[in-house]
Parts: sequence; C-alpha cells; structure tokens
Amino acid sequence: MKYYECNLHTLPDGSDSPSRMAVAAKKLGYSGIIISNHSTAGEAYGIDAAKLVGGIEVVCGIEILAADQRRLHARAASLRDRFDFLAVHGGDEKINRAACEDPNVDMLAHPHGGRSGIGVAAAKAARDNQVAICLDLGQMIKLRGGARVRWMEMVRRDIDLIEKFGIGLMISTGSRSHLDLRSPRELVALAALLGVERKRAVEALALPGSIVDLNLRRWASVGVELL
Amino acid sequence: MRSWLPVLRERRRYLAIEVEAEDRIRRTDLAAEIWNAQTSLLGDLGAARNRLRVISFDGRFGIIRYSHQRTEECRAVLATIHTIGGTRAAIRVRGISGTIKAATEKYIPQSTLQPDENVRRVDSGLVSGSVARVHGREIDLCPDDRKMTEGSGTRYVGLTSFDLCGEDTDADGTSDGL
Repeated sequence: MKYYECNLHTLPDGSDSPSRMAVAAKKLGYSGIIISNHSTAGEAYGIDAAKLVGGIEVVCGIEILAADQRRLHARAASLRDRFDFLAVHGGDEKINRAACEDPNVDMLAHPHGGRSGIGVAAAKAARDNQVAICLDLGQMIKLRGGARVRWMEMVRRDIDLIEKFGIGLMISTGSRSHLDLRSPRELVALAALLGVERKRAVEALALPGSIVDLNLRRWASVGVELL
Repeated sequence: MRSWLPVLRERRRYLAIEVEAEDRIRRTDLAAEIWNAQTSLLGDLGAARNRLRVISFDGRFGIIRYSHQRTEECRAVLATIHTIGGTRAAIRVRGISGTIKAATEKYIPQSTLQPDENVRRVDSGLVSGSVARVHGREIDLCPDDRKMTEGSGTRYVGLTSFDLCGEDTDADGTSDGL
C-alpha cells in the first residue's frame, strides 16, 4: 500500500519547509505527501527543493478558503487546472455542502472544524460528485476534554453516514509542522478508536495517491483521456 | 516485589520510542504527559487495563512497558501527545518487543564509538580496535584500520569472546569473555 499524507501546510502557511516535511514523512513510512496550503496564504516556499528528496512523492495541491458558496465554485473552477489536488477548507455548514456539490473538488478537509458535520444532503452530494471526506485527526491529537468529546461525537455520527453512502474517506493530520505528523500505523490506531475499521483506515490512507494519479492523466472531457 | 503465581502473571510488551522535541525533555515530564494523555483519551478504566509505564528514558530514546494485547490503544495514546512539559514534541514508536533486552538491542541505536575514544581496547596481532558493542559472546569491534571492513560494507568487525580468550569454555553465555 502507498500511504499519502494529504493535507499538509508548509511555509508560509505552516512552520516547516516542504522538504523538511518530505524528509519527516518519509521517515514515518509515507510514500507521498500532498502540500495543500490555503489559497490565501500566498506563494509556497521551496516546492522545488522538496522534489529533490528521494523516495517520496511531493504533490502540489491547494486548499480553497472561500467566504461563500458562489466564490467557492468560482475558485474551484479557476484553480482546477493549476493544481494536482484540490481541497476545500471545510467547517462551515454551507461551505461543506457547497464543496460536496462541486465535482471539481477532490477532498473536503476538516468538515468537523465547526459545530456541524456533513449531514445527509451533503453526504449524498459527495457520493454523486465523488468528493472525498477528510477525517482530520489533528483535532483528536490537539483537543482535550469537553471540546474533544463534542468533536468525537460529531465524527462518530458522520462516519456512520460515510459508511452508509460509501463516500471516499481520507485520513490526515492537517500538519503545520513535522512534529504534527504521525505515522500511518498511529493514524490507523486513532481511527480505530473512532469506529473506523482497520481495513477501511488503510484504504483511506492510500486513497489520495490514486486520486492524484487520476488527476495527473490528461482528460479531454469526462471519461475521455488524451494519450 | 511480592511473588505471583507464574501462570497468573500478566504478560507484557515493550515499546521502544524516540521523542522528537524542540528542547530537552525530562523523564518525569514524559511520564506525566503520558499519564494525562491516557486518562484523557481512555479514562481510568482504559488506563488501568493498559498499565503503561516509562521504564527508561535518556532524553531521546526510551522504553515503555504496557499490557500484552493493548498495542493499538497504547499507540493511539502516544500519538495524541503533542507537547511535553510545555515543549512541542512528538513520540515516534520505533518498535515493539517482548523483552526489554530485545527492545533495546533491536530498536535503540547504540552509541557509535570512534577508535580514539577511551574504551575497552583489543590488540591481538591481526586485529586491533575498540569495542563498540557486546552482546553475549558476540563482539562488534570498531577497527583502527578502516580498510578491514571495506569489502563487506560493514562498519564493525564481528568477533566472539572465543577469538580473544582462546579456550574460554564457560557455557552459560553470560560472560563477555573480556
């Protein structure tokens, strides 16, 4: 299995350079990382240096931060061709729903950042548009006490929903530093506490890689590939 | 410690860990942080089942004991630690073993010695160097002459206590023969 860490923030969005992240992730057993800085963060620093790190694939993606649904769709359409992986900064109920309804989007990142999760309507839309939901275990690592209890309640409910509709699941830590990274086995163990089966968690860690592979092929239109 | 019936003795596993931190970490802070993390994540009941203990910690590498068959829970507990004593840190699991000895030998890197350091020396005609590691009868020797290991690509010369002491015949395997 090729494991990918799919939601990393590097300089200037996080505190590490992409190459430092790549080296740390390689040591932990990942085959690839996806750098997805927020769209408001500005020019990424040192992506070329990270591609020199051997033994790990570094993919340049982006996480769209939008104030409302209309701007989200516009951003997604304009950024689709420029990046290999398109994530959306979730959390707000309306943004979660809008991201699930947009076929340009690859992944909805941390939909449980706010007070509500994804909900039934958004889950159906995510299935139809093949938008993957990213389980952000960084929250489980950083939060303590009541805040974590509420987060876990929300996630447990949404995991049932994800299983019911067969939506793509991804697991990430949303790291901003190499100290936030966790190895694939640790993420599987954490996900198991939330009710994700081992097999499903392993698939979730490998899913970003297969989506990136699909995105890197050249598509003329839906289902038509340029060879 | 009070003796217990061997058949009832609960089995143990040992985690070899490496702590990645921005500053030096003290053992007491690490133990307190693990304690807090596990009661926070699993509650008192889960903590009692895990029986996590810090056996040794040298500032970077350490050995943690836990209850046999609770590997996943212990991994999850260690993964939720993000600061230790106010310093940003992360705990990486290097490996799991059934004994402290095996965990140390397999997963905790031994200090690599340079030939000039004042350690136990070996000078016996053909080979001369300083002892890097001793495990039972097996001895790893850091040779003075680097060319000795050139062909095999290793760093150390492998010897046994037999090479050094001639007809050493104690059979318990505990003596290092030096």
